[in-house]
Amino acid sequence: MPDRAHSAPPEVICQGLSKTFGGAGRPVEALASVDLTFAAGRTTALVGPSGCGKSTLLRLVAGLEEPSEGEVRIGGETPRQVCERAGLAMAFQDASLLPWRTARGNIALARTLARLPEDNAAVDRLIGLVGLDGFADRRPAELSGGMRQRVAIARCLVAEPGLLLLDEPFGAVDELTRARLNEDLPALWEARGTTTILVTHSVSEAVLLADRVIVFSARPASVIADIAVPFDRPRDRGLRRREAFRDLTDEVSAALSAAGPDALAAE
Amino acid sequence: MGSRFLLTWTKPFPAALGAAFPGLALGVLLPLLLWEGLARATAGSFILAGPSEIVAHLWANFGLMSRALGITLHAAALGFLYGNLAAVVLAVICVLLPRAERMVSALALLCFCLPLVATGPILRVLYGTGTGPQVTLAALSVYYTTFLPLMVGLRAAPASWFDLVRTYGRGRLTELWRVRSRAALPYFIAGLQIAAPAAFLGALVGEFTGAERGMGVLVIRAMRSLDVPATWALATVASAVAMIAYAGLGWLGRRLTVAPPAMLLAPPPQAQAGGRWRGPVGAVVLGGAVTLVVLALWWGAMEGFGLNRFFAKRPGDVWHFLIAGEGTAANRAVLFAAFGQTLGFTVPGYFAGLALGAGLAAAIVVFPGLATSVLPVAVALRSVPIVTTAPLIVLALGRGATGTVTIVAVMIFFPTLVACLQGLRQTPGQVMDVFDSYAAGRWQRLIFAQIPAMLPAFFASARMAVPAAFLAATTAEWLATGTGIGSLMALTASTSGYDMLWSAIVLLSVTASLGYVAVGWVERAVLSVYASEQLAR
Repeated sequence: MPDRAHSAPPEVICQGLSKTFGGAGRPVEALASVDLTFAAGRTTALVGPSGCGKSTLLRLVAGLEEPSEGEVRIGGETPRQVCERAGLAMAFQDASLLPWRTARGNIALARTLARLPEDNAAVDRLIGLVGLDGFADRRPAELSGGMRQRVAIARCLVAEPGLLLLDEPFGAVDELTRARLNEDLPALWEARGTTTILVTHSVSEAVLLADRVIVFSARPASVIADIAVPFDRPRDRGLRRREAFRDLTDEVSAALSAAGPDALAAE
Repeated sequence: MGSRFLLTWTKPFPAALGAAFPGLALGVLLPLLLWEGLARATAGSFILAGPSEIVAHLWANFGLMSRALGITLHAAALGFLYGNLAAVVLAVICVLLPRAERMVSALALLCFCLPLVATGPILRVLYGTGTGPQVTLAALSVYYTTFLPLMVGLRAAPASWFDLVRTYGRGRLTELWRVRSRAALPYFIAGLQIAAPAAFLGALVGEFTGAERGMGVLVIRAMRSLDVPATWALATVASAVAMIAYAGLGWLGRRLTVAPPAMLLAPPPQAQAGGRWRGPVGAVVLGGAVTLVVLALWWGAMEGFGLNRFFAKRPGDVWHFLIAGEGTAANRAVLFAAFGQTLGFTVPGYFAGLALGAGLAAAIVVFPGLATSVLPVAVALRSVPIVTTAPLIVLALGRGATGTVTIVAVMIFFPTLVACLQGLRQTPGQVMDVFDSYAAGRWQRLIFAQIPAMLPAFFASARMAVPAAFLAATTAEWLATGTGIGSLMALTASTSGYDMLWSAIVLLSVTASLGYVAVGWVERAVLSVYASEQLAR
């Protein structure tokens, strides 16, 4: 039986990855021959116009969609193989907490789904790390949007996956909360050296959190810029005020504006 | 009445009563006083028994009534259990085997459209004495009212919850156990709430078919002897049981669930899995496939259980009786003449019930003062089985067309009223804010915002009302008027004319199913303009 816990951070390779939705009558090409390698233990941000196919790429990596052409390999394995040994976890834009479970129950659910033994200590430790002490027994409806996202991130981490897929995880919260989450949460997965792929609409968030920013064109998505982020970790809010940070966000924004007229609308 | 309906979740019944206490005094106590006064004024006319007479009758016959009630409740409870188990099994099959869903749903609908009036006597022959028919009819009355909301509930979860399960490499069983079953709980409870009075109705109809004991036997006896206080007392007890079951399950639902369902319990029919077969061609292919499967199941069940051909007719027997044998023209003439009479009661009653229900709902919105007095009473009356009110209406309006049309209309009216009120309340707050910002009048709000918002609930009610209308018409014909296909079925059952009885079953089931599908088509056409989000669900 494969080891389910403490997955080592894998390298993720996408080769000739294409995805077309819809039937023969009205096909919609979401991705066109994407070749990408995501380095083990690093955080990569994907930015691009709305509907360009970033989330589709993430879903292909998660094994939630099958590619029309090409393949994804995660540390040499297929996405389904990685899923079956709980080697990856995904966070969604809307937190996707089960409303009938408490914060603690939602976090513990990931261990159940991953077929890992119960570990209340690990759950409680994560509750503390994401700053939810005192809220563990509250249901999602009793939590703010930011608290729900903290629970969602804790749920992702509790099975200690090697690969973390974040699909606009802070997209549904206000700007102040988002800034707080950007400061508080990334340290959790950075400390574990998890391979992380982050889809975001925010250029500044991408530059703040990632080691590398990939800019996609309008649909069908193809890579139009691949920009390294050279800042040391840990990064704090002071980084946003540095000129180098602003230069880099300008560079990403310029690439993004070349991607299409709507690309910067979300900024 | 209206126990066969699936509607939106209603405001908690006791809460509605509590919130509306001043209205309650007006809505309940005043009618009670009027009722008593009217009964005394019409004493001797064999129409109305007042509350005091009812209480006196119940007091004098407490032992008999309580024993009969216990027997009927026992059969209803067993039928409730079996019917809901069947609903759960069917729903789980549909979730685990999505390709089977359209076929399973179509078969379930067809079974739901079987006329209880005809299946009752056949089950009596099949089971002999005992509670078999009561339990079976109770089960048949409830499985569909639970199946539909359960299917909605099992799907009432965001796609990302299922993505979450799949990212851990888990499949449909885990989805079902960890996510769908819990997400479906509010819908399941809402379905059970509708099913409880329906089970009681089924058990009563089963007792009409020749049981020795039970509430149904007392109802028949009271009607035949024109015992007005007994008829009203039985109706009161049955109504109370239905309301208590409805309210009790509502209470249980609120204890168990986090939030009530926000969607329609009976959403519009739609092409789901196997999307290749959509549109008219798909409907014809599905209809043909369903027909073949039904014929095979019908024949297979009769042969498999070795049922006597004397009463357990096969498809070939019905074909021979209506199409291929001797004297088929005369058989068809008798059948269709009776069916025409029934349609003459059913169609006007159906549309009258819908129009009155929707109209009163709109009036309540325009004149909100009406709501506090009308709504709690309407929610309560919705759960009263038709067989308890039919005799009362017949007493009041006689055995002619007026009585039957009124029974059908009443059967449709209350569920439509409650559904439409719920629908009107679901008008989005932002939309109403826009109307507020222009200081729009109440009629403008009603016509441009609230009625369009009400349409999904109205059509869900209209669709479920089709089999309910046939049930009401045939029950009235059977119990009271002596005309139409309901009476023909009762007559042929008592004279062992099983060819005619089975032919009537086929005709009624097919007509009710086609009516349901036809309303569904109109619904889809209208909602595609006014509420496309309902079709996407």
